[in-house]
Amino acid sequence: MNLKNKLTNGEFSVIAEMSTPKGVDISDLVTSARNLKSRVDAVVIPDMDNGVMHMSAIAGAALVRQQGIEPMIHVYGRDRNRMALQGDMLAAHVLGIPNLLVVQGEEMSLGDHQDAKLVDDLNERDILVMVDTLKKGSDLAGFELKGSPDFFAGCQVNPMTDDKDLDAEFNRAKEKVDAGAQFIIVPPVFDINSYTPILEKFKSLDVPVIATVFLLKNVGMARYISINDPGSRLTDALITRIRTAKDRETECIAVAGEMIQALGKVVHGVKISAMGWEDRLPAILDSAGI
Amino acid sequence: MITAEQKPIEEIIEYIAPYDRILLVGCNECVTVCAAGGRKEVGLLASALHLHSLKQGKTVDIKEITLERQCDPEYVEELVSLIDSADAILSMACGCGVQTIAGRYKDKPVYPAVNTKFMGASESQGIWAERCKGCGDCLLGVTGGVCPVARCSKQLMNGPCGGTSNGQCEISPDTDCAWRLIWERLKALGMEKRYIEVMVAKDWRPAGGGGPRRIVREDLT
Ligand code: SF4
Ligand code: SF4
Repeated sequence: MNLKNKLTNGEFSVIAEMSTPKGVDISDLVTSARNLKSRVDAVVIPDMDNGVMHMSAIAGAALVRQQGIEPMIHVYGRDRNRMALQGDMLAAHVLGIPNLLVVQGEEMSLGDHQDAKLVDDLNERDILVMVDTLKKGSDLAGFELKGSPDFFAGCQVNPMTDDKDLDAEFNRAKEKVDAGAQFIIVPPVFDINSYTPILEKFKSLDVPVIATVFLLKNVGMARYISINDPGSRLTDALITRIRTAKDRETECIAVAGEMIQALGKVVHGVKISAMGWEDRLPAILDSAGI
Repeated sequence: MITAEQKPIEEIIEYIAPYDRILLVGCNECVTVCAAGGRKEVGLLASALHLHSLKQGKTVDIKEITLERQCDPEYVEELVSLIDSADAILSMACGCGVQTIAGRYKDKPVYPAVNTKFMGASESQGIWAERCKGCGDCLLGVTGGVCPVARCSKQLMNGPCGGTSNGQCEISPDTDCAWRLIWERLKALGMEKRYIEVMVAKDWRPAGGGGPRRIVREDLT
């Protein structure tokens, strides 16, 4: 069953994140994708992840499709105007990419091509409207398409530090759902107890909610997140757990596996971000019993 | 200078419809020169709005004032004595002026009465044209004093596109091809070699790619 049907049927779905290379060596991507065949429902490919120039997501997604996995790509407006975005959407459809995740592009000044020119023609909401328009058979200028694409398009929620952020993100997510978003992906969950009320709030929008599971790779990373992103709700207990573990790497994988299990009782799916440790994705799934 | 054009009167009327007392504020700088929002335009707009409200069987109280510079907090301070007698402010300055007022008088709604257009110069009586996009890293020194960012429709940096025809830009016979102008200038100055030198991809950071820009002059702060 494809991702869309599974999520709409209320079945727990698993999405793994994989980046395209900065270069043309696709071996890691292809190998990681092959190892996940029949184990995940989709692989999501970010585009210019974190504002860093990479191979475009469409090519990565086409490669993932060749390995027999359903792909999803990030779509955002920082680098492409409405012409380029629409052209890419048509291309994505014919290359077998059925899922889109409309995101906010990273600030140019935080990426690796800070001297690039900003486009920002369409924002996330506009892009969702654009996707909906294409699905209905015409482009944004009102011209009829010869064959219209079909997509399962969702949106992403940004990290939230406090209740004010939560309200703002909730309202934004609502706007995006009204504009056509069919699922929502929420930021990484590190503490299921404090995060459950947030997840429940987003579930009230009546579209499937997918929570991000972020693989902590070491104590330093956990500390960094807990200090720099108070919205992560990452607890000292978790840091201690990783720090005192005999085999920290195995512990990190177990932490991610347990989080997937816990989230299975709260949300409709998870997106696993392994941040360069895609080769450990099968181990994370094993640990989650998937 | 910054150029502007008055908004359609219907839009202005819609903005101020809910209010009985309006403070109409012009500016003595750029918008005066381009005849969009100086003392004269303030007077004309006030009359037009009065006329409209009379036709509706209403009266609206419009106070007119034209500040020396609306983008300068020092002059915007002059509105203090008038602000309480107004329900809303209608500004005829460029967007910088409107925002300076909005930043100073936080509890009063401020509406723009003009559309701020571009940084330009007067070509002849009654005609203004775009000359600069504020890219933050001025190239005029290498392009013979003609800006390819503001004046080439495609912002080309290394000579004209294939669409240039009879020295005019392909978008319209009324628009000079910026690269024709650049070439003519460099030739006249005996600087043809500059034209051959290839310009590397422009750094757009100073143009605002990193977010809103500021200038901080430590010696003046
Ligand atoms: S090069 Fe940049 S700063 Fe100079 S005139 Fe053109 S846009 Fe303005
Ligand atoms: S015709 Fe000249 S000004 Fe117009 S786009 Fe081409 S090079 Fe630029």
